[in-house]
Amino acid sequence: MSTAWLIARDELRMMVRNRLAMIGMGLLLLLTLTAVVSAWAHQRGIAELRARHAQAAEAAFDAQPDRHPHRMVHYGTFIFRPLGPLAAFDPGVDAFTGNSMFLEGHRQNTANFGDVRQSSLLIRFGQLTPAFVLQVIAPLLLIFLGYGVLARETEQGTLRVLMLQGARRWQVVGGKLLALGLVALIAGAPAMIGLVAMARQPGALTLPMLAIAAGYAAYLALWTILIVVVSGFVRRGRDALLALTALWTVSTILLPRAAADLASAAVPLANRLQSDVAIARDLRAMGDSHNPDDPHFAAFKQSVLDRHGVSRVEDLPLNYKGIVAIEGERMTSSLFNRYAAASHAAQARQNAYVDRIGLLSPAIALRSLSMAAAGTDLEGHRRFLDQAEAYRYALVQRLNAMQAQAVRFADDTATDADADRRKRVSASHWQAAPDFRFVAPDGATLAGAALPGLAVVLGWLVLALAALGLVTRRLGARR
Amino acid sequence: MILLAHELRLLLRQRLSVMALALLATLSAASLILGMSEVQRQRDAIAAIPAAQAEDIAAVADYVDRTKDAGSAAYYSFHPTWDAPSALAFAALGMRDVSPYILRVRALGLEAQIYDGDTFNPELALPGRFDFAFVLVFLAPLFVIALFHDLVSGEREAGRQRTLDALPRGGRSLWRRRSALRLSLLWAALALPFMLAAAWEQVAVGAILAVLAVAMAYLLFWAGVAALVSRLRCSSVTNAAVLASAWLLLVLIVPTLANVAINAALPIDQGAEIALAHREEVNRAWDIPREDTMRRFYARHPEWSPSAPLGPEFHYKWYLAFHQNGDESVAGRVRAYRAGLEARDAAARATGWILPSVGVQALLMRLAQTDLAAQLRYQDRIRSFHRRLRTFYYGYLFTDRPFDRTDFDRAPRFGGDIS
Repeated sequence: MSTAWLIARDELRMMVRNRLAMIGMGLLLLLTLTAVVSAWAHQRGIAELRARHAQAAEAAFDAQPDRHPHRMVHYGTFIFRPLGPLAAFDPGVDAFTGNSMFLEGHRQNTANFGDVRQSSLLIRFGQLTPAFVLQVIAPLLLIFLGYGVLARETEQGTLRVLMLQGARRWQVVGGKLLALGLVALIAGAPAMIGLVAMARQPGALTLPMLAIAAGYAAYLALWTILIVVVSGFVRRGRDALLALTALWTVSTILLPRAAADLASAAVPLANRLQSDVAIARDLRAMGDSHNPDDPHFAAFKQSVLDRHGVSRVEDLPLNYKGIVAIEGERMTSSLFNRYAAASHAAQARQNAYVDRIGLLSPAIALRSLSMAAAGTDLEGHRRFLDQAEAYRYALVQRLNAMQAQAVRFADDTATDADADRRKRVSASHWQAAPDFRFVAPDGATLAGAALPGLAVVLGWLVLALAALGLVTRRLGARR
Repeated sequence: MILLAHELRLLLRQRLSVMALALLATLSAASLILGMSEVQRQRDAIAAIPAAQAEDIAAVADYVDRTKDAGSAAYYSFHPTWDAPSALAFAALGMRDVSPYILRVRALGLEAQIYDGDTFNPELALPGRFDFAFVLVFLAPLFVIALFHDLVSGEREAGRQRTLDALPRGGRSLWRRRSALRLSLLWAALALPFMLAAAWEQVAVGAILAVLAVAMAYLLFWAGVAALVSRLRCSSVTNAAVLASAWLLLVLIVPTLANVAINAALPIDQGAEIALAHREEVNRAWDIPREDTMRRFYARHPEWSPSAPLGPEFHYKWYLAFHQNGDESVAGRVRAYRAGLEARDAAARATGWILPSVGVQALLMRLAQTDLAAQLRYQDRIRSFHRRLRTFYYGYLFTDRPFDRTDFDRAPRFGGDIS
């Protein structure tokens, strides 16, 4: 058996004899198991609840009686953001964004009822998910188990004995690395098994799963190497423990929060009141459908009349009110899209800011990798919002077109007692309207979005390996 | 006193201790500056409301003035409400980053408006804020651990413990002296920057004292844990590892477990169900006789029943009446939803009695008025303002009084007070 193997076996035997270490390891495995089970149950519960709500909302829409189409524009529809299978591993921002949205004409409503506003303050302490366990807790456990791997030998003078017996430096370091790496493997395995189990759900994708697995493997390998490096660099075990704990605190606890605060201070976001007022202002500048003398709508009316070769709206083959509704919706919707894009661009700038700080903290990089691959990052929410707006626009315009074609202008403007009945169109139209179906991104897109984060973690891994080389060369030299 | 000064000299000679104290003071100052700038941003946003609002309402007034229809005024006017940060909000931003502190409402159905959120970046909200509460709850214990883990064991390992025990005023009194010194220095590193910030923000003296006392109690708790662990007479390094594990459990792991447990034990009738039920109730009005709607409305609000009967054409008083009927039809669900939120919050607070980390966080959020109770109070103020809005517009609609440009100035204004 090679020397490195022997050293690794010895180190592992030491760890097994350490009762505290074993308890810690056992607790970590238990915690991971709890996290996998509870996060999975949570994800399935949410997915089922949202599916049920979505079905109820669709059924209610289809069951509406004969109505004026514009009534349906305001009856609107509720849609719910579905939760992908990998959200059980890393729910990302799911709890922090509203997951239901009311879609209606002329208005763009917010996504409401996020978990964060329905849970107690405890949710701000973090959520128990496999991702949280691996990102935050596993590294600290590795530190507790591994801070002494080399420092202890140096401190007690056994390193010299080892080397006198003919062990090479790289064999000593390699053996320790092997032992701690094995521990990391055991620590990460349950979460990875959970990931594989989750991936067997329908709709789970292979590429993002591989990205997640690669990211977390690299992350744990990085910590393993860092621990060995620090342990080999300092003289005393205690110094190694304090330095590593400080490193862990800064990179996984402090920087993510500080980065978020700095980003929100650096890139301001327009609040809803300001953008709503701005949208109303732009809309007035474009044209005011309420104003009979408005130049835009006067020109629009003339163009419609010219197109059909008539001189009065009453003579149009279509209901002019429906045509105006289509034009009005086109105008408001273009503004909604412009302001939503501006807000999203600002949020993307904030995230880019955080990612730059993420160069300093592999935990931030891993978090964005993990959320991106699971489709639970801001971009994933944005995909939902974009599809929701596209669906809203198509549905409202479908109803407006129905008003233009199926409701006569004379009926639409009448106010006699029977007019209400004549304005209504058949309920069968509501069933014919398509339901909202969220189109999940393909695996390549998700995995591609995870690449920048993966690159940062791998970059750190390379740096750590270089440091390991330096420490190995100097091991035991300067005492 | 001389002994303390001597101890201080000894302590300041250790590079680790000095670095730890300086770092804690820096982090505390940084968190306060970030918190204060966030609160300032929120204040600026609230201060910018009147200008934006004046522009918006002027345009609505231009339009409504042509018809003098109070219904159109009610339908198109958005009225701003806001929840100004308390003087202490900078220290514990709490839920203010995910719950709106500005919300505009119309005199229509409130249940379709009151749960709306504001724009925020969820990826920034996910890790939580870097505020003073975070520095105190999460980071300060680590500094206690750094300074206390080798208090006794360090001397033992250096072979000085027996000598120190044998000294006059050595032994227990020495450890007490050293502990008190370390604790006061740590507390000062947190408290001095905080007091400066609190003075700048003109926080009431009582609140400042409360925060300082909470901080001291929390540090004492961790020093107590450290003292308990040192009784095991392990090496410094084992002490450090055990204490860090205790921190991991008390600050990170148990709160997340408690969150899972509370959410499972206290299921909440989802807010989305209120929204769905409300929409059904409101839109149903278009398909039932309008007199039914009015009858139901007048039964609850007889003060408006002398109003003229509806004609064949559309009238906004009917429209607003069915919106109010809609609100009233989900009142039971709204109460249940709120009770659910309060039950979860109460459970989390109860956890705070066992988990000091949670307790301190909850206490700071309560003092800073950034917790759920404060959010609900803001919702109550919105509800009472909305009642005034309704009464105001109904006064025109149910008596068919024309609504002209000057009437816009008579509309109720959100005063932040409960009326």
